[in-house]
Amino acid sequence: MSDNPFPLSRDELLNIYQTMRTIREFEERVHVEFSRGDIPGFVHLYAGEEASATGIMTHLRKDDRIASTHRGHGHCIAKGVDVKGMMAEIFGKKTGVCGGKGGSMHIADLDKGMMGANGILGAGAPLACGAALAAKYRDKGDIAISFVGDGASNQGTFLESLNLASIWNLPVVFVVENNGYAEATSVDWAVACDSYVDRASGFGMPGVTVDGTDFFAVYEAAGEIIRRAREGGGPSLLECKMIRFFGHFEGDMQTYRAEGEVDDIRAKRDCLKSFSKTVTAAGVLSQEDLEACDMDVLSLIEEAVSSALAAELPIEADLLTDVYVNY
Amino acid sequence: MFDFRFVVWTLCTLTIKCKPSPVNLSSKQHSLSINSSTISVGIVANPVSARDIRRVIANATSLQVSDRANIVMCVLAAVRACGVKRVLMMPENGGIRSLLKRGLQREQKLCDNRFPELEMTDTQISGTVDDTFAATQAMVDSGVKAIVVLGGDGTHRAVAKVCGQVPIAGISTGTNNAFPEHREPTITGLAVGLAATGRIPESVAFTLNKLLCVKINDGERSDIALVDVVVSTERYIGARALWRTDNLREIFVTFADPEVIGMSAIAGLLEPVSRNDFGGLHVLLDDPEVTENLLQVPIAPGLISTVGVQSWQQLEPGIPFTLRQSSGIIALDGERELEFGPEDTVQVTLYEKAFRTVNVGACMRHTGQHRLLVGAPLELLAT
Repeated sequence: MSDNPFPLSRDELLNIYQTMRTIREFEERVHVEFSRGDIPGFVHLYAGEEASATGIMTHLRKDDRIASTHRGHGHCIAKGVDVKGMMAEIFGKKTGVCGGKGGSMHIADLDKGMMGANGILGAGAPLACGAALAAKYRDKGDIAISFVGDGASNQGTFLESLNLASIWNLPVVFVVENNGYAEATSVDWAVACDSYVDRASGFGMPGVTVDGTDFFAVYEAAGEIIRRAREGGGPSLLECKMIRFFGHFEGDMQTYRAEGEVDDIRAKRDCLKSFSKTVTAAGVLSQEDLEACDMDVLSLIEEAVSSALAAELPIEADLLTDVYVNY
Repeated sequence: MFDFRFVVWTLCTLTIKCKPSPVNLSSKQHSLSINSSTISVGIVANPVSARDIRRVIANATSLQVSDRANIVMCVLAAVRACGVKRVLMMPENGGIRSLLKRGLQREQKLCDNRFPELEMTDTQISGTVDDTFAATQAMVDSGVKAIVVLGGDGTHRAVAKVCGQVPIAGISTGTNNAFPEHREPTITGLAVGLAATGRIPESVAFTLNKLLCVKINDGERSDIALVDVVVSTERYIGARALWRTDNLREIFVTFADPEVIGMSAIAGLLEPVSRNDFGGLHVLLDDPEVTENLLQVPIAPGLISTVGVQSWQQLEPGIPFTLRQSSGIIALDGERELEFGPEDTVQVTLYEKAFRTVNVGACMRHTGQHRLLVGAPLELLAT
């Protein structure tokens, strides 16, 4: 028997750790940079939710498409979007992945299959259905993923997309990242149908709930769901129960959260810590492996911020580019 | 023939006003000791049972939260009809509580007194199994006479870990449901209400059950299972539910029912053992690719899988069995829970008479035979 108990090789596990660590450091650094006032617009941070994006995206291929949310940095990084280009985009610089014109909520990189973060709640779901319909016609086994938060899951676009995906048997997976709050409103007050699995079954598709802070739980469940979609089994819904370390947006005073809540979840439900503990306890990765990775990530983020700060802003003429696309 | 139209049968604080009946009930009367303090029962309703990956890899159903709330309403109405005044329930944020609140408010407007007072235990909500442990403990501490459990095998296991001598009554809302019997919840509620109020003798109302205990390194880590302990060569917990059969190597069961699905069905299809039989069964399994002894097993709803069988033997109570497999994971009642390696010593022991359940069938037979529900509505026992 192999000494590695996991269904992933040592190198794959190290890559996964690197992705999760990159998301964490990226978000922690954006949190700091935003407070300095150098970043225009709003940012919504994904820290604490890394296991969901990484656990799902580990199963995806380049031609699989994802439609993200306003909290999309983690999805972008896990799907392989260039970190320096993302940071520059958030700073509104010309070297950003969208030329500095999208910002945090509109990062997109179609070459990587990332159809965009989205400032409109629930707007990603119809896009994912469109991508899934195209994938179905191309018949190469590609799929699409729609990420949505618990708040946006109440939007009509999302519910209509569930219906459409079901009647057309589309290769699409709807991932509800349930972090318990729609902005400042607890999910208990905002969602009439308390179980997303119930909601999925109402549209004739299976739904599964997993602990979104456990990488291996997400990875295994997502693997089965994605395989099903690739093989023609149709759409399904995956609810990842998770937590966010920061407020809804940067600057959110979070008065709606219980005293000590964030400290408690950072101490007890940190997906990165639990991943590290699991793989080192199994002896597959060492603490030194992880620390070396941490150093690489820190220097990458440092470089990303430095180059973003040094980069130029778009000029007036750039307003007229990227408006229409010729097919 | 005695005319019962005017008979009032008073038994402690219990009063049953009998309706006209052609049968002489006097011969069925018996003396029951009824506790005059507040009679209360507990309810643990898991909002997230039946939500795992078996909805995708098999065709498992997912009972809706509103259905779960309706089941609780049925139980509440039934126990109240038996005289139970107060019910303690586990709080959760999965939707059952809020639907119940709405339902009870609606019922209050429509009809008086059909439901008991419903209180939530003063316990934290974390959305994990810890909620079940804490709420069950609070119910035990407050002296409930029985606990109704809505969930699958895992939920019942969690309650059984804490409930001590308080009997539990299971209602299937999980995936495999080998432990809780399938039954209309109103009937379970009636049986619990009649048993909790002492109208049915304990020797009839309650059954003692077997249980499996797993100990790693002499108790360094330990846990229990109500139905099955399965050893797999898989070595990580992941999404918890167990369904791949080629990695299975050993299974220990408290009972082996050929009419259930899940891991215990492997044993049930080889040598049935009832819940009341002495001992359990221990089955050694093999990779189906390397053995000719194959068995087709309903391992999950709609999923019939091939299992390789090596041998099986009776599992005697009280004798620890050391695992043959040197490393892997241990699934308890269908969920991967414990990892172990070559450095660990793992022992599995079957215990008889480990915890109590409400014998719903026996309760209702007794109720019919003794005409306990004949007459006017039962009065509240309480206060």
